[in-house]
Amino acid sequence: MREFFYFFETFFNNAIFYYAISVMTSYVILIFLSAIEMNAYMKKNSYVNYREILVSPLVPSVSILAPAYNEEATIIENIRSLLSLHYNNYEVIIINDGSKDNTFQRMFDYYQLEKVNFAVDYQIKCHEIRGVYKSKLPSFSKLTVVDKLNGGKSDALNAGINVSGKELILCIDVDCIVQEDALLKLAKPYLEEKYQVIASGGVVRIANSCKVEDGKLVEVNMPKNIWPRFQVLEYIRAFLMGRMAWSRLNGLLIISGAMGLFVKDIVIKVGGYDDKTVGEDMELVVRMRRYMYEQDRRFKVVYIPDPLCWTEAPADLKILGRQRNRWTRGTIETLWMHKDLFFNPRYGVLGLLSYPYWFFFEWLAPVIEFLGITIFIALAIMGNINWEFSLILISMVYFFSIALSTIAILFEEMSYQQYTKGGDLVKLLLVAFLEPIFYHPFTIYWAMRGNIDKFLGRKAWGNMTRKGFKEEKNKEGTTPHTVT
Amino acid sequence: MSFFNPAFTYIREIFTERLPYFPANIRACLFIILFCVVAIVELYIYIALRRINQYKKKSQEKKWKAHIHNMLANLVIYDESDDTDEIIEHFFPRLQKLPLHIPIVKKILITEILTYHKNFIGKPAELLSLLYVKLHLDQRSREKVKNKNWEVKIEGIREANEMEVGEMADDIIKYTDDENALLRMEAQAAYIKLSPKDPFRFLDRAQERILDWHQLVLFEIITKDKKLQIPSFSKWLRSSNDTVVMLCLKLIDHFMQFDAAEEVERLLKHHNTKIVKKAIEIIGKLELESAEKHMFEVYFDQPLEIKTEILNAIGRISSGRYSDFLSSRIYSDNYKIKREALYAIKRSADLGEAKLREIYRQTSLENQAIINHVLDSRIKS
Amino acid sequence: MSKILIAEDEVLMLKALEFKLKKDGYQIDVAADGRQAMEKVKSNTYDLILTDIMMPFVGGMEILSYIKNDPVKKITPVILLSAVGLENIVLEGFALGAEDFVYKPFNLNELSVRIKRYIKQNVF
Repeated sequence: MREFFYFFETFFNNAIFYYAISVMTSYVILIFLSAIEMNAYMKKNSYVNYREILVSPLVPSVSILAPAYNEEATIIENIRSLLSLHYNNYEVIIINDGSKDNTFQRMFDYYQLEKVNFAVDYQIKCHEIRGVYKSKLPSFSKLTVVDKLNGGKSDALNAGINVSGKELILCIDVDCIVQEDALLKLAKPYLEEKYQVIASGGVVRIANSCKVEDGKLVEVNMPKNIWPRFQVLEYIRAFLMGRMAWSRLNGLLIISGAMGLFVKDIVIKVGGYDDKTVGEDMELVVRMRRYMYEQDRRFKVVYIPDPLCWTEAPADLKILGRQRNRWTRGTIETLWMHKDLFFNPRYGVLGLLSYPYWFFFEWLAPVIEFLGITIFIALAIMGNINWEFSLILISMVYFFSIALSTIAILFEEMSYQQYTKGGDLVKLLLVAFLEPIFYHPFTIYWAMRGNIDKFLGRKAWGNMTRKGFKEEKNKEGTTPHTVT
Repeated sequence: MSFFNPAFTYIREIFTERLPYFPANIRACLFIILFCVVAIVELYIYIALRRINQYKKKSQEKKWKAHIHNMLANLVIYDESDDTDEIIEHFFPRLQKLPLHIPIVKKILITEILTYHKNFIGKPAELLSLLYVKLHLDQRSREKVKNKNWEVKIEGIREANEMEVGEMADDIIKYTDDENALLRMEAQAAYIKLSPKDPFRFLDRAQERILDWHQLVLFEIITKDKKLQIPSFSKWLRSSNDTVVMLCLKLIDHFMQFDAAEEVERLLKHHNTKIVKKAIEIIGKLELESAEKHMFEVYFDQPLEIKTEILNAIGRISSGRYSDFLSSRIYSDNYKIKREALYAIKRSADLGEAKLREIYRQTSLENQAIINHVLDSRIKS
Repeated sequence: MSKILIAEDEVLMLKALEFKLKKDGYQIDVAADGRQAMEKVKSNTYDLILTDIMMPFVGGMEILSYIKNDPVKKITPVILLSAVGLENIVLEGFALGAEDFVYKPFNLNELSVRIKRYIKQNVF
C-alpha cells in the first residue's frame, strides 16, 4: 500500500509538472507572438491619420446594433453617445427586446419617434418585429429603433441584422462606453487586408471608478474595489497578450460580445446569432470561420488592441460568479456544437490550433486544476505527501503567473498606458501578486460550477430567453476568456 | 530580521547544497522559479526606468514646446501687407538660436512647422516655407528619403510632401511601387503633389496593389487639391492592376468624366465583380443610355449584388425602354431584387411613384408592404 | 472690448488663433477641449465663439446646439472650425444655427475679417 501511494504521488507530481510545463510553454509562445503583433501594429498605425477615414465617402457603411432590455435609466444617454461617434457613414439601430420597463417610451418621447412602413426582410429567423421607428427630427436621422417581442440578446441582434441596410454591422452592448474613434479603427482593417476580413473586434476595458460624463470616458482610474481590480489585470492579460497572439496566428476564436464588427452578408449566410447558446459571441465567430473554410475562401479575423470599449465589470462576487459560470457554459456549448473541428485538418488553423487550444487550455485547464487540488488534499489528509516537492511545484506556477502578469503590464505600459498615475501602476503590480492566491481559486470554482451546471443539464439559459438577457447578464456581456 | 533568517537559509540551501539531490522535475521547477524571480525583478526595474525616462522626456518636451509654440504663433499672425523679408529677418536668428542639435528640439520644430503649414494658407504658409528652407530643414528631409530605414524614409517623404520641397519627385517615384505598402502609399501621395507636370505617372508603373485604404487616402488628396491638373482617368481602365482600375473608377465617378463612358461600359465584362459593380454604378450615375442594353443582356448571369446594382442603374437612366423589365422583377422570389426594382421604378422619371401605386393595386400583400417601404421617404435606402 | 471664446484641442492652433485675435484687439478666453469650453460657455457670456468641431469629450456641434437653444445666449455668433469640409457636416452646422463655417486650411486674415463683421453686427 505504501508503495502504491509512493508510486501514485510520484506519478501525480510528474503529471502536474508536465501539464504545467505545457501550459507555460504555450504562454511563452503566446507572449512572443503577441509582442511581434503588437510591435507591428504600433509601427503601422503610428503613421495613420484617422481624419482621412473620417471625411472620406469611401468608407464602408456600418450599422450599429445595440439590443436594449430594461435600460430605461440610461438609454437616452447611451443613444446620444452612439450618435456622436466619429464616422462618416453609419446608422444606429436600437433593438428594444420587449423591455418591461419604460425603455421604449423614453426613447419614443425624447427622440420624437414615429413608426415607418418598414417591410422587414426576415433573412435570419427572429421573433416578430412589432415596428420600426425613425425620429421626426433631422438631427437624429441616423437613429432607427426596432420594437420586437422578447427573445434574448441573440434574437435581438438577429432582428437588427434584418433591419440593417449597411455593409458592416457593429454589435455592441448598449451600456458600454464606446470611444469616439472606435468605428474608424475597427473599420480600417476591412480596407487594408489582402484577404477578406470577416470580423474585427476591439479590446474591452474596465470602467469601474473611471470618470464618465455624458456617456463619455473622461478620466481613467484604477477600480477602488478589489474584484474589478483583479479583472483589470485579467483583461489586460487576455486582450493585450492572448488575443493579440491569436490574431497573429489568424486563429482568433472569440470577438467580445461587447463590441465586434462583422460583414453582414457573411453573418446572414451562416444564419446569424444562435439563440440556443449562452456563448453566442464565440459561437458566431467559429461558425463564420467554418463557413469560410468550407467555401475555400481566404479570410482574416482581426483584432484591434486600442482601448475602444469600456464596460462596468461586476464588483459583486455573486454576479461575477454567475458571469464566469455563463462563460464556461458558453465555451462548452460552442466546443460541443463544433466538435467535428477537433484536429480536423480541413479547417486549417481553426481545426488544428485554435480549437484544440480552447479545448485543452480554456475548457480543461480549470477542470484539471480542480482535480489536481482535490487529489492533493486527499493525499495530504492521508499523510502521503511530500510537502517540500509540492510547495516547490506550486511556487513555480505562482512565480510564473506573476511574471506573466508583469509582462502583460509591461505591454500595457509600452502601448496604451491607460493607467498614468504612478500609484495606479503600483497597485496593478501588487494585484499580480495577490491574484493567483485570492482570485484564481474563485475562477476555478466558478468554471467548475459552470461545468457541473452544464453536464447536470441545469439549463439556466433556458429561462434566460424569457427573462431577457439583462437579468442573467447583469453587466456581464464581455467575454475575454482569460489567459492563465 | 531574525524571523527571516531561517527562511533565507532554507531557500539558500535548496538552491545550493541540496539542489543535486532533488528529482529532475523538481530541479527544473527550481530553475524556472529562479528564472521567473529574476525576470520579475528585471521587469520592475525596466518599468520604473521607463517611467522615469518618460517623465524626464515629457518635462523637457513641455519646456521646448511652449517656447517653440510661442515663437511660431507670433510668426503666423502677420498680415498680407507686412513685409516678408522683414519678418524673416526678425525670426530667422531667433529660430537659429534654438539648440537644433538636440533631436527632440528639432523634431518639435519640424512637426509644429508642418502643423501650421497644413492648417493655414496665405502669408503664414509662405513664411513657414521660406524659414524651412533657410534653416536647411529641407536638406534634412532629402537625406531622410535616402535613409535605409523605411520609417525614416516615410518621415522624409511626409516632410517633403507637406513643405513642398522641390525637385524630389524623381527620388520619390521609385518608392511608389515599393514592396512595403506603407512606404508605397506615402510615396504615391507625395508624388501627386510634388510632380505638377505629370502627377499620375506612378499609375502607369504600379504593379503592387493599391489597398482600399490607400485608395481612400489618395482619393482625398486628389479630390481636395485644387491646384491639381485632373487628367482623364479612363486612360488607366485597361490596367492589369485591378486596384488601379478601381481607384480610377472612383475618381471618374467623383469628377463625372463622361469621356470615360465607352471604357467604363467595356468593364461590364471584367473578371472582378467589385469592378463590374462599380462600373455599373457609374453607368447609372452618368445616365449612360448606350450601356443600358448591354447591362440588360448580362443581367441574368450575374450574382445578386450585381443584379441589384443593374436595376438601380436602369432606374437612374430611365430611358423607358426597360420599364416592363423593372416591373416584372416584382415576381422575383428575392426580397432584395424586388425592393431594388421598386426603388428603381420610383426613381425613374417615366414611371415614378404613380407606377408604384398602380402596381400596388394588383399585387400580393408582401409586395404591397415592400411598396409602402419604398414609398416611405423617412427610410433611406 | 469684445470678448471671444476660442475652443480648439490642438494647442498650436489655439495659440495662433489666440495671438492673432489678441492682436486684433479682442479679449480672449481659451478652452483646450470641449468639456472646458462647455463649462465656460455655461458660466460666461461672449460676443463670439470660435469652436473646433472635433474635440475630445464634447464636440463643437454640442456646444453650438447648447448656445442656440439657450434663450439668452442664442444671439452669440458661433463660427465652426473644422478639418472636415464634408457637406452633411456643414449643413448640420448651419441647420443648428451656426453663423459661419471655416475649414482648414484657412487664411487667418480672412478669419479675422469675418470675426470683425460678426462682432460689429452684434453691437446693435
